[in-house]
Amino acid sequence: MSGQAAEGQAAGGQAADGQATGRQTADGRTAGGQATGGQTAGGQTAGRQAAGRQAAGGQTAGEATGPGLDGYRREVRAWLAANLDPRDDDAPARLRGGDAANLSPERVAQQRDLQRRIYEGGYAGITWPAEFGGQGLTPAHEEVFAQESRGYVVADLGIAGLTTTRVCGPTILAHGTDEFRRTHIPRMLSGEEIWVQLFSEPGAGSDLAGVSTRATRTDADDWVLNGSKVWTSGAYYADYGLCLARTDPTVPKHRGLTWFGVPLTSDGVTIRPIREINGSSEFCEEFFDDVVVSDANRIGAVGDGWTVARTMMVFERLGGDPDEAPRHAGARELAPDLVALARRVGRQGDPVTRQLIARAHVIDVVKEQLDAYVAAQAESGTANPNLGSYSKLAAGTLNPVRASIGLEIAAAAGVAWHPQDTEASTTALNYLNGRILAIAGGTNEMQRNGISERILGLPREPAHDLDRPFNELRHN
Amino acid sequence: MLPGVTADQRLFAETAERFIRSTCPVSTVRRVAQQEVQLDVGYFTEIGELGWLALFVPEEHGGGSPSGHPVLDAGLIAEQRGRYLQPGGVVGSNVAALAITLGGTGEQRALLDDLAGGKALAAWALGDPVGGWEASAGVEVRRDGAGFVLSGTKGLVQDAHLAGWFLISAAVDGRPALFLLPGDAPGLSVEPLAGLDLTHRYAEVVLRDVAVPASAVVGQIGDGDLGERLLQVATVLTVAEMVGAIGALFAMTLEHARSRAAFGRVIGSFQAVKHQLADLSLAVECSHAIATGALTAVQEQAPDAGELASAAKAFVGDAAIDVSQGCLQLHGGIGYTWEHDLHLYLRRLATDRVVFGDPAWHRERICRLHGL
Repeated sequence: MSGQAAEGQAAGGQAADGQATGRQTADGRTAGGQATGGQTAGGQTAGRQAAGRQAAGGQTAGEATGPGLDGYRREVRAWLAANLDPRDDDAPARLRGGDAANLSPERVAQQRDLQRRIYEGGYAGITWPAEFGGQGLTPAHEEVFAQESRGYVVADLGIAGLTTTRVCGPTILAHGTDEFRRTHIPRMLSGEEIWVQLFSEPGAGSDLAGVSTRATRTDADDWVLNGSKVWTSGAYYADYGLCLARTDPTVPKHRGLTWFGVPLTSDGVTIRPIREINGSSEFCEEFFDDVVVSDANRIGAVGDGWTVARTMMVFERLGGDPDEAPRHAGARELAPDLVALARRVGRQGDPVTRQLIARAHVIDVVKEQLDAYVAAQAESGTANPNLGSYSKLAAGTLNPVRASIGLEIAAAAGVAWHPQDTEASTTALNYLNGRILAIAGGTNEMQRNGISERILGLPREPAHDLDRPFNELRHN
Repeated sequence: MLPGVTADQRLFAETAERFIRSTCPVSTVRRVAQQEVQLDVGYFTEIGELGWLALFVPEEHGGGSPSGHPVLDAGLIAEQRGRYLQPGGVVGSNVAALAITLGGTGEQRALLDDLAGGKALAAWALGDPVGGWEASAGVEVRRDGAGFVLSGTKGLVQDAHLAGWFLISAAVDGRPALFLLPGDAPGLSVEPLAGLDLTHRYAEVVLRDVAVPASAVVGQIGDGDLGERLLQVATVLTVAEMVGAIGALFAMTLEHARSRAAFGRVIGSFQAVKHQLADLSLAVECSHAIATGALTAVQEQAPDAGELASAAKAFVGDAAIDVSQGCLQLHGGIGYTWEHDLHLYLRRLATDRVVFGDPAWHRERICRLHGL
C-alpha cells in the first residue's frame, strides 16, 4: 500500500462521479500519461516484462533493445559495477511486522546516501522531466536500468520512499507550480526529501472527500492548519506530507478542498506511531495544531483539491503492491514459503497439503498474469483508466485466502513456536497481514463500487451528500 | 478478444464470429441439443475451409495459421467457439493433427489433408472414465509380435461419435505411447454417455483386445515430450473455449442486471447486486489474463508452459463454477428455466472444467512439475 492506509482513496473517486464524469476521464488520462514516471524510481519491472510478453502476442520480452539502448545498457553496467555493491541473494526479505520492520534513523540516513549516489550518477527519475532533475528518457531506458540493477543493492527507503516516487512525486509533477517542482522534485529523487500522503482521517476513511482538517488563510496570506490525519505509512521518518485540507466548509464537500505540502518538522506537527495487530508501527497518526504553511506550498488551485486527489488515486492504484517479492523472469517458484512450511511439518506428500500449496501457487500466478494483462491494456492507451481496480481487488480478495492457506498447512506450528523460530512466526505474521490490501488504499468494497460503476457502467449509489454544504452534513 | 492480436488474427477471429452467427448461432446449437435438428455435417467442411482445423498442419498438407502462431490463432477460434457454444471436438481434432504433424509416419501424414479440410475428424482419447488423465489411464497394452494389443476404456472423449480417427494415449512397458486408430478398428467401440453438457456429446472409447500394428504408433514410444506438448495445447485451448463461454455468460448477466427492474429501479443499481457483478467480472478478467499468459507460453514453448497451462485450467475451472453459479443467482427464476440459454453455458462450463483434467488434477500436476 502506498502512503495512505486503511479505508481508501477510491472512495472519494466514487463520490466525485456525480460532479463530472467527463473530468474523471480527463483526469485519468492525464494521470495515466505520467504513470510511467511515477513508477520509475520504484522500478515495477516484473509486471511490465510479463506484459511485454503478453502484448507482443508471441514475441518475447526482449523489448529493451535497440541502437540507443545497447549503448545505454553498457553505460549502466559500467556505472553499477563501479558504484554499487552486488546484492546477496540470500539476504532475508524485509518483512512487515515486528520491530525489525521499522527503519532506524541510521538506516534511513544510509539509504538516503545510497539514493543520492544513484541520483548523482544520473539514474534516478529516468523517465521524469530533465528540467526537474529527472533524466527525460524513455520507459525502455528505465527498464534497462531495472534489469541491470537487479543484481545490486539499490536504495530502499521503505514504504514512504515508494510513496515519494510513485505517488507524491508524480502528483506534484502534474499539479505543482514550476517553482515548487524545481525545488522539491530533485530532492525527492535524490533521497533528500521523503514524502508521505496526509489523506485519511479518523473521521474520513472510505469517504475520503469528507476530511475535516481545516486550512484557514491568515492575514499574511499564509495558511493555518488544524486537525489530524491517520494511517500514514512511514511518516515517522518522512520530511514532508502532501496534505488534503478543507479550505471552505460552506460548499459541498468535494469543492472545498485544497492540497498543501507540509514540512513535518514545522511547529505544531506531532507524529505518533500506531501499533498494528502485527506488533509493528509502520503507520502513524499526525496532529496539526496551528501549523503555519506558506501559500507557496499549495499544490493546485484553492478549492480544486479533489481534482488533485483523483490524480493521486490513479497513481496509488498503479503503484502496485510494495510487499510483492521481486520476480525473476523465467523462474517461478512453487509457493516457496508454503513448500518450506510443508517440509518442516513433514506433510509435503499429503494430498490435501499439496492441493493447498498448488492453490496458493495458482493465486500467485493469476495475480501476476492479471497485473501484466492490466498493464498491457494500460499501455495500449485506450483502456479504461479504472482497470487497476481489478489488480487491487484481486490482491484484496486473494491475499487473505493465501494467508489462510499458510495457517492451515502450518497447523500447530503456525500458532505456537519456539521464540527464535522466525520461519514459524512468519506464517502467523502473514496471517495477521493477510487483509492489508483488502482494506488499505481503498477497501474491497470501494473497488467493487468502482468496478461496477466505472467499468461495468452500472448506476451509481444514491448520494445524499453531493449538493449540500459540508458543514451541514452529518460527519464523525 | 485476447489482447496483443495482430491485424491478421483479428480478421481471422472476426470472420469466425461472422460465420458462427450466420451458420450456427446459439439458437441453432439449442435446436441440435434438443434433437429437433441434426447438426449439418457440412459445418465441419465449412470450418475446414475457414482454417480452424488446419492450424497445426503443415502447408504441404493444406495447413497453415494466419499469424504463424498456431496456438494463439487456435486460441482465438476457441474463444469464439466457447462464446457461441459451438459443437464438435475441434480441440481434439486439432491436437490429433498436431500429434501427426510432430510424430506421424508418412502414411499417417496422408490423413492430415482430410483433417485440415474437415473431411475427417479425429478425437483424442486420453483420460480414463474416472478422472485420470495420465497417458496410461484406463488402457493396458501388451506386445504381440511386432504389434500391440490394446484393452480397456477411455472416458469423456468429446464428440467421439463424429470422429473417424482416434488418437489413443497409453503406456507400453510403463512408457508413454500414442496410437492412431481408425474408428472402425476391430474391437474398438464408441459407447455414448448421457451427460450434463447439451452442446457436446461425450462417449467412452472401449478397446476390446484391439490388435494394433507397429505402424499405428505416433512418434516414439517413451517420448514423453510429445504427450506433454499435446496435453498443454489441449489444456490451453479448452481453457480458451471456457473463457469465451464465461465472458458470454457474464455479458448476458450484466445485460440482465441493467434491464431487469424491481422496486422501481434496475436491479443493477442495488449494491448487493453490483458487488456480486464486480466480483464476477474480476473472475472473468483473471480468467482472460491467465488464459492469455498460458496460450502465449505454450505458443512459445516457454519453460513454464506446462505449469502455466495447468495453473490456467485450475483457475479457470474453479472460476467457471463461481461465474456460472453467480450468474444463475443474479438471473433469479428466469435463469432456472429451460428456455433461457444460461443453463447451456452452465452445463458446458461444468463439463469443460473436467475435460483434459479438472482443477485438482492440474494442481497435483503443478506440484509434480515443480519436483514436489
